[in-house]
Amino acid sequence: MPAATQASAPTAQALATHTVRLSAAFSPERLGAGTTIRFGLQVSTPAGHEPSPVTELQVLLPAGLSIATSDLGLETCVPSKLEQSGLAGCPANSLMGRGSAAAEVPFGTAFVTERAPLTLFSGPLQDGHPQLLFFASGELPVLADIIFAALVLPAHAPFGGLLNTTPPLIPSVPEGPDVALVRLQTTIGAKGITYYERLKGKTISFHPRSILLPKSCPHGGFAFAAHLTFQDATHASAGTAVPCPRSR
Amino acid sequence: MMQQLRASRRAIASTAAFLALTLVTLAGGYVVSSAAQTSALPRAQAARTLKVNDTGYLHLLHASGSILSEVGSVSGTLPGTASVRLDVGETVTASFTIHVRGGGSITGRGSAILHSSGRYSSFAGTLSVTGGTGRFAHTHGAGKLYGVIERRSDSLTVQTREGMLHY
Repeated sequence: MPAATQASAPTAQALATHTVRLSAAFSPERLGAGTTIRFGLQVSTPAGHEPSPVTELQVLLPAGLSIATSDLGLETCVPSKLEQSGLAGCPANSLMGRGSAAAEVPFGTAFVTERAPLTLFSGPLQDGHPQLLFFASGELPVLADIIFAALVLPAHAPFGGLLNTTPPLIPSVPEGPDVALVRLQTTIGAKGITYYERLKGKTISFHPRSILLPKSCPHGGFAFAAHLTFQDATHASAGTAVPCPRSR
Repeated sequence: MMQQLRASRRAIASTAAFLALTLVTLAGGYVVSSAAQTSALPRAQAARTLKVNDTGYLHLLHASGSILSEVGSVSGTLPGTASVRLDVGETVTASFTIHVRGGGSITGRGSAILHSSGRYSSFAGTLSVTGGTGRFAHTHGAGKLYGVIERRSDSLTVQTREGMLHY
């Protein structure tokens, strides 16, 4: 369909083109050992353009890592309970990670950056796919709790899993643009997380076993990628890789 | 503390096995038929078809990334010992070898979809037998695959059901 491509090209060029920067790291970086994955997204908007909300976010994770072989998510959080009760609605043993998010909120004639802590929980399987629940609690200038789910789907090599989510649109002032996500960073892993279990009538805390790195490193390191779709129908992608840890 | 943890893991393993057993009611396996080719070659064995229902109770040998290597005992139609390599990602893929009591081994692979998450990750799918040794040389077959991983200890209870083995 070359004609259609040509016809749509000027429209696409007229739209603001967002760019995204993806960062990723493991802590600790040791092959064969448990680790916590940290990844972050930073969205940039060309000068003179308004930021557009993200309507679909896909994060591709490296092959060879699995939440299922860790202790993470020994219980699951029910989304409706998270909506009703906030963080208190989820079992401690469903906590998967923590992070932060920032969004551009239209305020008067300008945009104000709102930052919110982010908490990840293990949600119930959906059609056989693991699910992560993101909970962001904003306070200023807008007091709002945002919950969205990401399904963990299969992915083609060199990736091993795809986090796929469609964040909800967050309205701002009447007739104003929706709130636009501009930064998200989070961990998935056991770092700083405590779980609990009952043993002989007593509640015992323990440090859950984290995500295991494989004992060998893939060629080129552990690949990550992100694909974002924006409300203005533009797309942005980015990739990165965590280099192979040095042998110790 | 360590004793408590060990006791806890034993209790968990028992619970996992119980859960798995309640998932599927086992039917007894039985030799079904032998084929008619009996006289073509003096040393040729009659082909056999075996209906297989086995249960394995395995424990973690080592783990690397998404790979769990497990060993343990198998009871049922073909009792013996098994070693299983599981790749637990968004789906579960497995390769296995069963050393059958009395001689011979069976190798195969399977794939399954997760049915529950949390402490007990259950999965269900299919398996295929791709070969073997000894009396199971040239064997092939297929069946259904069920399993439960207790994630605190990574103990695995795995079952075949409606398995048909030709050898």
